Amino acid sequence: MTQVMLNALVVGTTYALIALGITIIFSIMKVVNFAHGQLYMIGGFVVYYFNVVFGLPFWFGLVMSFLIVGLLGVAMELFLFRPVMLRVKREEVTMLLAMGTAVFLESLALLVFGEKQRGVPPIATGIVELFGARLPTGRIVVIVVAAMLIAALMAFIGYTKTGRALRAMAQDREATALQGVNLKWLSAMGFGLGTGLAGLSGGLLVAIFAVHTGAGTAISIKAFLMIMIGGAGVLSGAILGGFVLGFLESVGYALLPGSLTFLIIFLIVICFLIVRPNGIMGKPWG
Amino acid sequence: MQKTISMPNVNLPQSVQRSSALKPIGLGLLIAAAYFIAIPLVFGANGYLLNVFTTMAAVSFISFGVWLTFAIGRINLAQAGFALIGAYVTAILVSRLGVSFWICLPLSGAVAALLGGLIGWPVLRLKGVYFAMITLCITEACRLTALSFPALTRGAQGIVDLPLPGELSLFGLTIIPAFEKGARLPFFYLAGTLMLLGLGFMWLLDTSRVGAVFRSLRQNEDLASSLGINVAKYRVVAFMVSCFYAGVGGAFFATLQQNVYPTTFQVLDSVYFMVYCFVGGLEFVIGPLVGALVMMISFELLHEFQRYQTVIFSGLMILCILLMPNGILSVVNRSGKPEEATNA
Amino acid sequence: MILRQQRQSALRRALILGAAAGALAFGTSAYAEETLKIGALGVMSGPFAGWGGVMCQTFKSRAGMWNDDGGVAIGDKTYKVEVVCVDDKGDPKGAQTGAEKLVSEGVKYIQGPNTDSTAESAKTVMEANGTINMPYAFSKSLYKAPASQSILGMVASYQVGPVIYKWLMENKGVKKIAFVSENNADPIKQRDEGSAGAKALGLEVVSDQETYESGTTDFFPILTKVIGTAPDHIVLSGVSPSDVGPLIKAARELGFTGTMSTETGQDPKAIYEVAGDASNGFIAAGGASTEAIRSDFMVKFIERYTKDWGEWNDVAGLYVYGPEIMIQTLQSAGPKALEDTEVFKAALTGFVGKNPFLKDGGELKYVGRTDYGQARQVSVPIVVQAVENGEYKPLFVGKLPD
Repeated sequence: MTQVMLNALVVGTTYALIALGITIIFSIMKVVNFAHGQLYMIGGFVVYYFNVVFGLPFWFGLVMSFLIVGLLGVAMELFLFRPVMLRVKREEVTMLLAMGTAVFLESLALLVFGEKQRGVPPIATGIVELFGARLPTGRIVVIVVAAMLIAALMAFIGYTKTGRALRAMAQDREATALQGVNLKWLSAMGFGLGTGLAGLSGGLLVAIFAVHTGAGTAISIKAFLMIMIGGAGVLSGAILGGFVLGFLESVGYALLPGSLTFLIIFLIVICFLIVRPNGIMGKPWG
Repeated sequence: MQKTISMPNVNLPQSVQRSSALKPIGLGLLIAAAYFIAIPLVFGANGYLLNVFTTMAAVSFISFGVWLTFAIGRINLAQAGFALIGAYVTAILVSRLGVSFWICLPLSGAVAALLGGLIGWPVLRLKGVYFAMITLCITEACRLTALSFPALTRGAQGIVDLPLPGELSLFGLTIIPAFEKGARLPFFYLAGTLMLLGLGFMWLLDTSRVGAVFRSLRQNEDLASSLGINVAKYRVVAFMVSCFYAGVGGAFFATLQQNVYPTTFQVLDSVYFMVYCFVGGLEFVIGPLVGALVMMISFELLHEFQRYQTVIFSGLMILCILLMPNGILSVVNRSGKPEEATNA
Repeated sequence: MILRQQRQSALRRALILGAAAGALAFGTSAYAEETLKIGALGVMSGPFAGWGGVMCQTFKSRAGMWNDDGGVAIGDKTYKVEVVCVDDKGDPKGAQTGAEKLVSEGVKYIQGPNTDSTAESAKTVMEANGTINMPYAFSKSLYKAPASQSILGMVASYQVGPVIYKWLMENKGVKKIAFVSENNADPIKQRDEGSAGAKALGLEVVSDQETYESGTTDFFPILTKVIGTAPDHIVLSGVSPSDVGPLIKAARELGFTGTMSTETGQDPKAIYEVAGDASNGFIAAGGASTEAIRSDFMVKFIERYTKDWGEWNDVAGLYVYGPEIMIQTLQSAGPKALEDTEVFKAALTGFVGKNPFLKDGGELKYVGRTDYGQARQVSVPIVVQAVENGEYKPLFVGKLPD
């Protein structure tokens, strides 16, 4: 059982990191970024290319995955989402746009990166035994880094000027603009921050998992589950949602027949949302 | 949703903007003539194009349902799940009990609608992205259910070698002859009939009092309920109609392909049903048809690009949204604003 | 006259030596007069793009080799081989439309599709139009009468599984076996068949209900439970290439010390890249591209594929058998088969060709009478091999039952 709990901790931390990026974009733009999983996948490949193909250090690749995928997000906001959002009669169109982007990025990645799954050399070797449970050192490094990143992000959003402006924009765009905040710059930056986090989580997790071009859609669906559980658009909710899903998955696999685990998770989520439509932490809106 | 609630237009103008009913009927006849006469005359010998049009017609039939849920302001990603339910109902009844396809077709729709009503009643309380994502969960749950209960669905084995539709006769009079192996025209006509019936019913619904109520739900549910509209009842009815379309469409595809697997309808199908509505234009009953036509034909035309087919296809889709964010029909129909809520 | 004689003698040799040697004999003397259009229908985009994509690429590279050698001789004509790849997106609707597309372009011979549901949907078109296809899917109703147009292009999991398990029992003393698979139609089916096969051999199946969702990144939770049942051997049934490496790595990190295997073709380099040394000893059934057993011709094909697509994928060594035997059979059945697949089907039972890919040569023929009641399977050799530092090391070569 220790192993199961440790598994839940690892899965939960990685999920929380994945969920944060999608929830940032949702909170400031009200866009459900269906391309989140694809951006995660690209982040993984960026690290792979810097680390394995160009032979540069893993950590350098990780920084680049944040920057490159973040810039990609800024470009998406400036050239795709902004012009469309200005002209649509129905906001749902942005969802469609994100889906189109997802398919586009995935098929482009297939052409550029090929069909094989990729991995990087281990960032740490060895295995730690803990009360009879096994925890590879690589995983410890990854979850510590992930936890630090989550903490850094929370601090950034909570205590810096930009972070406060982002939060203000999530609550009320017009009022924020009246305060003299440059919304154009801010929303592009927020979008880039969200996608950059997707790239960063993909880049970090490639160290212990692997990446291939088709991984995106499944990641996106799981990310949706997490933010639904936690409450869409609330940072703490995303983290909580990630941990809840990680816990449900680990414990579910341990106690239930494997094939039923996700069916039951889906049913739990559906029932839970019926009772509590805004997730655990969500505020009512819309 | 957020900004779109500009001015709820439910204060019911008395002068109904009922541009004479002749125009839509004429358009319907035109589509019918193009589909039933022109296409078979021109492409009748080409099985490939007939199949493309058959699939297009059936897919747009399913998408009409999604369109209706859009009309009440919900993003419905459960359509593939209910299509899968319909496909399994037909497959199980036909293969195990030997029930005629012609009974299974409407029955599949009815079962899907019934389940849709049961699930929809609580779920429809959700709005916006929450509804979109919960319906996405429903589609996944349907696939997993089909996999997990092999006693009923044969699970991963799939139900294969379904018979083709037999003849439909009434009082000894053959109305529809049995489908022959390899004949494409029967399925082509069946899909076309479904599509036209589906379109016709949608149009009637949209122009009726109920249609106006649906639109008022999209604009503002609270206001609608304050006007004495039983909001919960109307949105469940809309969702059930939508599920009926899905179930019938699923039954059609199970028979066309003569098999059903848990993977026959997946999340991606749900997404595409939605995309067809968007691309055509959400303000127009005929939107899903236009969207499916344009998208499917262009995918086939892009085949020449081989490995680049999907990249170019999705690139064009993004471009299409950039240039026509309100759908293709919004550009064609420059004349004025789309119809607003008419009457209640 | 001389030209014709040359061509006829070349034809005879082609029939005897198979397409490879035959094409060499043509050299420059023959020129292709007509085009033989052959199709590849499979999933070439989305999460499973690896399957159909590699199939299409394999076929194109092999066709390029035929064409560079002047084309293939069928009857007294030579044909350039043109491969038309159609992406079915893994969608049964797309498979049916794609099959119709190929038929409308006059294609009579098709490779693919790659999954049960797409192959079953394409079957309706194949049977109705007398088109031959070679699915890489294991659903038995594709190959059993009354179906007659589909030929299984590879070794089915239920055929190779027991062969591996038996070898493990005899050589590794395996007694307890566990199965784990993705929660999806094709893998679950292969798991059920594998589990039944293992029970029939007298193995104790300690776990065969555990599945993971498509797109799982962390396999610790699911494997914790599987390893908890203390198996000697874990089978990854119908595992997608993208999951093999992570699964092996996770199992080893959880302290599993037994053996592991899969029945499907996998690329050893990709596995090694993800799982590192943990992948050593992993058993897979695969193509015939292992250095120890491959022929010079296979080396040439690998070079060609690498030149065309940038990187070799070991699964291509499996997919190349389909086009090879298809063309060889067409050459043996004669030009009538180009128009009428009944002629092709009639030739299946007696056909014996040459396997150009193995050092030791051997026959290429159609088998499957035991499993399907008719000759509807390509006799791909069952090459069972183990990963060693990113390469395959052959363990043994098995044969399919007639």
